[in-house]
Amino acid sequence: MAVTQFNLNARQRAERKLLITVAEWYEEEGTSTSASPVREILGTRTEDSAIEYNADIETTTDIRGINYTDVNRTQPQQDFDPYLILGGSKLGAFLNDKRRRNAVSELNDFTVYVITAFAGESGAYEAEAHTGCTITYNSIGGDSNVNMPISVYLSNDYNGSGAPATGTVNKLTDDFVFTPDAQG
Amino acid sequence: MVDKNQAIIDYLIQCPNIVNSPLYFNLINAKNDNVQIITRANDTTMDKPFIDGSIPKQYTFTIIVFKSISENPIVTEVGTGYTNENIDDLADAQALLDWVVTQQELRNFPDFGEDCYVDDIQTTTNVPRLEGINDELTPPLAMYSIGVIVNYIDTSKMIWKENDHGSNTIQP
Repeated sequence: MAVTQFNLNARQRAERKLLITVAEWYEEEGTSTSASPVREILGTRTEDSAIEYNADIETTTDIRGINYTDVNRTQPQQDFDPYLILGGSKLGAFLNDKRRRNAVSELNDFTVYVITAFAGESGAYEAEAHTGCTITYNSIGGDSNVNMPISVYLSNDYNGSGAPATGTVNKLTDDFVFTPDAQG
Repeated sequence: MVDKNQAIIDYLIQCPNIVNSPLYFNLINAKNDNVQIITRANDTTMDKPFIDGSIPKQYTFTIIVFKSISENPIVTEVGTGYTNENIDDLADAQALLDWVVTQQELRNFPDFGEDCYVDDIQTTTNVPRLEGINDELTPPLAMYSIGVIVNYIDTSKMIWKENDHGSNTIQP
């Protein structure tokens, strides 16, 4: 598959806001779950956040002194600190409910989209989707305002395929439609 | 785009200490009971943008209050208590400052429009600052100042507000 070039002018830097992480989940409604997923674009009031890939790297050197480096796996993770308790935050309320009940087993069924709006074109921005992701609350407290930093652990999987799904989103609001790339 | 200066005027005239006083904007008109708003370092970006593209900003201004001063002594006779216009005038200026502090507690903020979210409004001091006394005027005037800071988030550049972010249309 051809590599998509960035939709930036020559030497233009991509603003940080063009890398977007979106959490998607289903709310419990009694004994069932909501019919449509709930989404939140992460990063409100966060000054700095990056996806850390935590690559497991193994390097060997043969008898000629040449190095061979293997990447066994990556374990992508993104921390959001601060993640302030804000009025209207759907994910904050969802995680706070889990925190109160210590329902840690309910934290691992998120779908997370990583949208790279600096690649693709209007109406079809490149994105990747991971299902079965985990989002944890790391602490709660702070000084002037209540902060509940969270970590997002990407699964590197999309519905059991063994890899994230690549595709596009049609717009940059939380009601976007994700269209996986055609296979083959 | 909301005119923030107008928004501040609309906000301050809610204050009982201002609504009945002549209010001026960026103008020195030294008369008793006049209140003036002077913008200072207006609309400064405080930090780099958040990762969603919203920007923390600060709007600062100074409220100037002119009060005539009395040259009478505070204590005229021992044991009769005291009254003094200067103390009462300072209390008036203090009431204006306290009104701003109360609005913070009530979360009653200036309306900077839908693209701005006001976080808080603060005074830079707990008491009005006496900037000076001009005894060449009739009546002599004292000038008090109250510094005010409005911290707000400008959300106009948030990525998902821009919605359809077309190719090569990214702001540098």
